[in-house]
Amino acid sequence: MINRRIVLAALSAALLVTTPLVAHAQNLPGNIRMVIGSTSTGGDTYQNSAIVAEALSSHLGINIKVDPVGTSEGLKALERDARGTTIMLHHDQIYLSYLYGVPGNDDPFANYVIGPTVAINPGDSFLVPADSPYQSMDDILTAAADGTKVRVAIQPGGVSEIGFTAMRNAAKVRSPGSEENIVAVNTGSQADKNQAMWDDLADVINGSIQANEQFTQLPADDPKAMRFVWITARPATLDQAPEAGMGATTRADFLQYASPATSVTLDGTEDFAFDKEFFLLYNKDMDPALMDAIDTALAEIYAEGEIQKRQAEAFFIPNYLPRAEALEHLSAKSERIGGIINDLKAE
Amino acid sequence: MDFLGLISPLFVLLAIGGTLVGIIFGAIPGMTATMAVAICLPLTYSLGLENGLALLLGLYVGGISGGLVPAILLGIPGTPSSITTCFDGYPMAQRGEGEKALRIGIFASLVGGLISLAALYFFAPALADFAIRFSYVEKFLIILFALTVMAALSSNMLLGIFSGFLGIFVSLIGVYDVTDGGNGHFRLIPPGTDYWLEGGFSLLPVLIALFGLTAILEEAEKGMPKGMSLKQIEVGAHSRFSFSVFKGQVLNLIRSSGIGTFVGILPGVGGSAASILSYTAAKTTSKHPERFGKGEPAGVIASEAGNNGLTGGALVPLLSLGIPGDSTTALLIGAFALQGIQVGPLFIGNNGDTWNAMIVAMIIANLAMFVMMYFAIRWFAMVVAVPKHILYPVILMMCVIGAYTINYGIMFDVWTLLIFGVFGWLATKLRLEVAPFIIGFILGPSAEIYFVKSLESFGDLTIFFTKSWIAVILWVLIIGSVALSIVMARNNRATAAAAG
Repeated sequence: MINRRIVLAALSAALLVTTPLVAHAQNLPGNIRMVIGSTSTGGDTYQNSAIVAEALSSHLGINIKVDPVGTSEGLKALERDARGTTIMLHHDQIYLSYLYGVPGNDDPFANYVIGPTVAINPGDSFLVPADSPYQSMDDILTAAADGTKVRVAIQPGGVSEIGFTAMRNAAKVRSPGSEENIVAVNTGSQADKNQAMWDDLADVINGSIQANEQFTQLPADDPKAMRFVWITARPATLDQAPEAGMGATTRADFLQYASPATSVTLDGTEDFAFDKEFFLLYNKDMDPALMDAIDTALAEIYAEGEIQKRQAEAFFIPNYLPRAEALEHLSAKSERIGGIINDLKAE
Repeated sequence: MDFLGLISPLFVLLAIGGTLVGIIFGAIPGMTATMAVAICLPLTYSLGLENGLALLLGLYVGGISGGLVPAILLGIPGTPSSITTCFDGYPMAQRGEGEKALRIGIFASLVGGLISLAALYFFAPALADFAIRFSYVEKFLIILFALTVMAALSSNMLLGIFSGFLGIFVSLIGVYDVTDGGNGHFRLIPPGTDYWLEGGFSLLPVLIALFGLTAILEEAEKGMPKGMSLKQIEVGAHSRFSFSVFKGQVLNLIRSSGIGTFVGILPGVGGSAASILSYTAAKTTSKHPERFGKGEPAGVIASEAGNNGLTGGALVPLLSLGIPGDSTTALLIGAFALQGIQVGPLFIGNNGDTWNAMIVAMIIANLAMFVMMYFAIRWFAMVVAVPKHILYPVILMMCVIGAYTINYGIMFDVWTLLIFGVFGWLATKLRLEVAPFIIGFILGPSAEIYFVKSLESFGDLTIFFTKSWIAVILWVLIIGSVALSIVMARNNRATAAAAG
């Protein structure tokens, strides 16, 4: 006898069978978790992932949820899932931590598949207090060469440290031995770096255009006032930023703090420059067809041109490279930076 | 300022709706204001900045306030910032003063919220300038002052202090994270457990385990006859509330609201420290410190005024420096980022409409919180009438869900819940004290970072005494609190000896 329970059970079973587990575009899972290498929802990693996840979701008709779990938990989640239901978005920090030997960080090129790049944050920068005797990077490197200790507040083991490494490298190239006068003050968040400056614990701090630009607009007698001395991005990258720049600082102003106007030499002939690039990572056993599907979707999204507008509004530079090109590009970048780090370690 | 121009029906609805949802999140053990804000954050893109902020600020105020309900009625803090509400609110409920405790807490929450909002509106830039005078040294001393409450909360001072230090020790398990300025090294991790313990134990699972799961295990041990409810926690009846309870507590109310606001403006000290510090200060300055922890209304006032004082305070560094004051305002910064709005020292001047909208939303949220909670006490009270054999499994389920979702889906957090639930159950048998343990666990990581960074930055221990006049004042408070604990312990011993 057919009763209500049987009808309900039959309906449930039918629903289960007809609900496709993988029935969306190019066989991508219908629900994808995008873990990111940051636990903050206020930072550039979350912003970038939100833009990319939204664009992919609407283009493919699937659900993508961004989970800010941090690098370690993000990689663990990625390792556990080869089905393609978990992907990761992070930036250069993931291989820089390995190159700097931060405990617990393995070679991402060996353990994961490097996916497509999506954007650059051109904001990585260094600042001094408004009343600092240092007007430029040249002043800082000259002071180091003259035997003055220059304290630089950074967060070790990542993008924050690479600029510091480049400063030490430039000091070494200009005056061997003077790199010992560029010393790191290890701090954590941007708040800690700012506080280190205000407590006179650091002469120079690592910061970003987005987080620090307003401090550069304060009156010079304000104890919180700062000045940019170096923006690490490549000039070609900064050139793509909106002409209005950010806040009261125009793109032309920013270019004055980047190479070639501000020179932090790599080898005496060429300047060091560094773009903070965001890219996807996949489980190494994930079906390449799924990776291709994401590549294709992103290529179509960037061809449409809408995502670039959103990225530009958030002061990011669109930078789509399919995964093969991204791997080649990021491997070369990692190798180049690894060389600088190892040269300094060998001293 | 054109306040009325900002009030559209949708804006008001979102602020009130956000407050209601926030109260529900705060009132469910395991769910927090931070979670509520995180879930609704993506909505702000489609709602627009001002409407989105109305929703998020409602969630924030409601979430912080809702935590007092389970803290008082069940002895389980709904959020980490309501932990000290348990210490006196639950004993009050157990002796039949649940309604009184709830109303005291709700009114104190309103006062704390409005005082901090006034501070935010009138003094935000000046307060931010004051906040940056607090270096690692002063922040460490503030944490140390909050830690002194461990001794005062203990029934046996020696065991209490031991439990507190055990809490600090356990909180330090895991990597000394580079994002905190550490060296990235693993420490205190037993061999073979790196994979799980790399990030240490999360606060929320530990908190709900020690207060929720432990209580359930203890009840299970005693046996739970079917149909038995928490009927001893009567609400209403012989616990009529009257505002006369605040007689003699005005100073406590204002001081606690001020402390909460002050902790909020100091980035990195942590939201939970607000109520702990307010509670410590109330106990230290009370004529009857021996009543704290046994159902003293002043304890509920201090805790709730303190944690709601945080709400306005934490927005001060966010809107004046671009630096969030606690974990929830760290999420709010995402709302600005998603709209491409720079938050920094020029934010208030450059974004007058958004700033005014935030103030209006906070006023609406605080008033809505008061009205909804004050008049919904009868509904909240229904929870104590639910038979334990139904109530406890539901609480357990919510604890598991809360533990799993707090860090966006990490299964080890559920294991943490189980491990510390069993630990809490065993700890009471070993006469270890849970309250000092959890306070040590909450404050341990900040204490470590600021202590190490102080030494790294300034070289030696003398800096803790010579850094500034602020440090000297903090030492006076620390010594006062410790001395009071010692005197109280002696008096208790003398009383016990006289009685025995």
